[in-house]
Amino acid sequence: MPGFDFTNYNRNAALHARGVPLPKATSTGTTIVGCVYDKGVVIAADTRATSGPIVADKNCEKLHYIAPKIWCAGAGTAADTEFTTALISSNVELHSLSTGRDPRVITCMTMLKQHLFRYQGHIGAYLVVAGVDPTGTGLYTVHAHGSTDKLPYVTMGSGSLAAMSVFESTWRPDLDRQGAIDICAEAIKAGIFNDLGSGSNVDVCVIEKDQPTQLLRNYMKPNERPQKERNYRFPRGTTAYLDQRVISKEDMKKYVTIETLSGDDNLATGDSMEVDT
Amino acid sequence: MDKLVAQYSRPPHQNEMYSEQEQQDLTASVPPLSLKFSLPPVDNHSAFLRAMTDDHSNPSCPIKLAHGTTTLAFRFQGGIIVCTDSRATAGNWIASQTVKKVIPVSRLSRGEDKKSNEPTPGLLGTMAGGAADCQYWLRYLSQQCTLHEIRHKRRITVAAASKILANLTYAYKGYGLSMGTMLAGMTPQEGPALYYIDSDGTRLPGNLFCVGSGQTFAYGVLDAEYKYELTEEEALNLGRRAILAAMHRDAYSGGFINLYHVKEEGWVHHGFDDMNPIFWDTKLQKGEFSNVTSAL
Amino acid sequence: MAQKVVEAYETGSGAGKNAPFVPIVHESLDLQADRLLPSQSNPFDINGGACVAMVGKDCVAIACDLRLGMQSLTISNNFPKIFNYAPSTYLGLTGLATDVNTVSDLFRYKVNMYRLREERDIAPQTLANLVSSSLYEKRFGPYFVSPVLAGINPTTGKPFICGFDSIGCIDFAKDFIVSGTASDQLFGTCEGLWEPDLAPEDLFETISQALLSAVDRDALSGWGAQVYIIEKDKVTQRLLKGRQD
Repeated sequence: MPGFDFTNYNRNAALHARGVPLPKATSTGTTIVGCVYDKGVVIAADTRATSGPIVADKNCEKLHYIAPKIWCAGAGTAADTEFTTALISSNVELHSLSTGRDPRVITCMTMLKQHLFRYQGHIGAYLVVAGVDPTGTGLYTVHAHGSTDKLPYVTMGSGSLAAMSVFESTWRPDLDRQGAIDICAEAIKAGIFNDLGSGSNVDVCVIEKDQPTQLLRNYMKPNERPQKERNYRFPRGTTAYLDQRVISKEDMKKYVTIETLSGDDNLATGDSMEVDT
Repeated sequence: MDKLVAQYSRPPHQNEMYSEQEQQDLTASVPPLSLKFSLPPVDNHSAFLRAMTDDHSNPSCPIKLAHGTTTLAFRFQGGIIVCTDSRATAGNWIASQTVKKVIPVSRLSRGEDKKSNEPTPGLLGTMAGGAADCQYWLRYLSQQCTLHEIRHKRRITVAAASKILANLTYAYKGYGLSMGTMLAGMTPQEGPALYYIDSDGTRLPGNLFCVGSGQTFAYGVLDAEYKYELTEEEALNLGRRAILAAMHRDAYSGGFINLYHVKEEGWVHHGFDDMNPIFWDTKLQKGEFSNVTSAL
Repeated sequence: MAQKVVEAYETGSGAGKNAPFVPIVHESLDLQADRLLPSQSNPFDINGGACVAMVGKDCVAIACDLRLGMQSLTISNNFPKIFNYAPSTYLGLTGLATDVNTVSDLFRYKVNMYRLREERDIAPQTLANLVSSSLYEKRFGPYFVSPVLAGINPTTGKPFICGFDSIGCIDFAKDFIVSGTASDQLFGTCEGLWEPDLAPEDLFETISQALLSAVDRDALSGWGAQVYIIEKDKVTQRLLKGRQD
């Protein structure tokens, strides 16, 4: 059965009522931005995933595919952005198959907001939806409770204030492709350097009419770690061990038995089906 | 003016006996308690302190005190054995593996300039519970013991010393002190004497005590093997073995085994040894700890 | 869950107030929980345990400690947290021990069904997606586990590791993945000791020292360790001599 399974819910709710803290989910304390330009739209994101104060992933991907010309940047609970966009991507494709038309950004945005509204904010996905479709360029934000916005430039996530300051001071209505990429990357960098929840690299996605969508993964790497001057390699034999077991390729198969049933013998124990002759 | 004169002079009859100061010195060897610790501006100090520091009931409490310990001491015919682990934990974080949880209590016991293995006169105190509480109040006790020695020209008895500490903890009862300590010493008047004092104000004399999160494990070993007639060698080994068992089973005990022997002439230190080689020796040579897997 | 959602708001837009959270609690369960829980502690920290995976040159390694505890009391010194799902695919599970058992059995069942249907072994990437979807299915009542996956893809021969949070967010990493009560310490040791392209024997030393050093600073994990070095046609399993305190 697809969908959520609530079997552990009562157990965990009872534990929570006793004061047991809830599990820490990986969240993308994030800076995500989007910006339209004359022929299309650019979205960008940083690449840090955090779990509390710990950086869980230094180079995660926050730009999610929805359709060839619709992409989504996600902030909030990482698992929620990942699975919500995957679900909507799937539904968008089915919808476009059944209608025989290219999917529209507004359709995707509506599906997302309806899904998120149904869950009353419990699905913690904060998204920037961007793309081009036969009606033109679309750029929207979707909040976890289901509210949406349509703007020429948007920012979201914990670094949204830092990023917005870049847009508010430098955005112009007549941007070209490179200008849009530059301003988005600059906004993400403002988030990376000024927001503790954002960090590492800049990912950019450029969607333009009549041109293949470009995902510029790690478009900028302003935080590359320099190579270590020397290494901490331990001499072999450093670690004491009490016992060892070597499992060779042949042995590995021992744990798994696959028997192929031959087709000629009538192995079925039930009666054979009656067939008209 | 009369007031001033009265303040600085005394009627002659008062000088015939002891002065007020002299009287005080004689009757109370302990100066009156100072309650000059600043207290938080809340109604209930201890509840507030607990809310801030008890990581057991609230893992995200703002202040994490170092505690979690196994300490033991027992009397036998040859004196007293005092043995402790050396781990300090703050929550699940192991803050240190080299804590000295046996604190010498007496003026003469800072025996760094002594020849090794020569007994150092004085008492020994053990540390369990709040590390800062134990260190501070045992230092205070040390001060009082030294003053006692100067005033009376003889060493304080363990009974008296333990009472100073117990009165102190009782005076601060409810303020949130956290300490479980044992005082061990040997005086001509008492012979080997062992007392347990804790922050509730308890003071108990006894033959055998284990204190700390790993106390039950140490009691398990100690109760099985303990008898008063133990030889010195046997007693030292038993102390070591009981701490080893507690270090093994208790997550908040571990590190080094700190072993002391208290004799008539004073205490002797019998090493601060890493438990790791001792454990594997006990397991692989003597065949104990068979619960630990050594083969896949 | 309420707390989690608040966290998401903070990282998200900062907009909106948290919906009131009214847990449904059965009276009988309520009383039981009172007795069962020694204190209000984090389910991830009750039993303790640590797990780490690392990538080397044409090999991967995964290691775990062996402790099973109930708060401070060590119950077992032989509770391996790494499970085998295909010739060169291993899954490490740390967290609440009852969920470690449940989840490992659940995946054994799911992987067996996969093998029967597909007549081939599951690839680490496939298992990663299976783990992810299975955990996210329980988004609002998660298992208290943090899985770590390590393996070599049977078709490409490429090493693969990844980690998950308890609701199935995959963390793809090129270097190392850590989980468990010693994860903070493991992040430190791995960040310092790991380097690219380690040979299997060097990788063994690096992962072992990273794990042993980390668990020696965590009260709830340790008591021995197991390491698997996974190469294309050989897996070496070793039992480390770790501190027993």
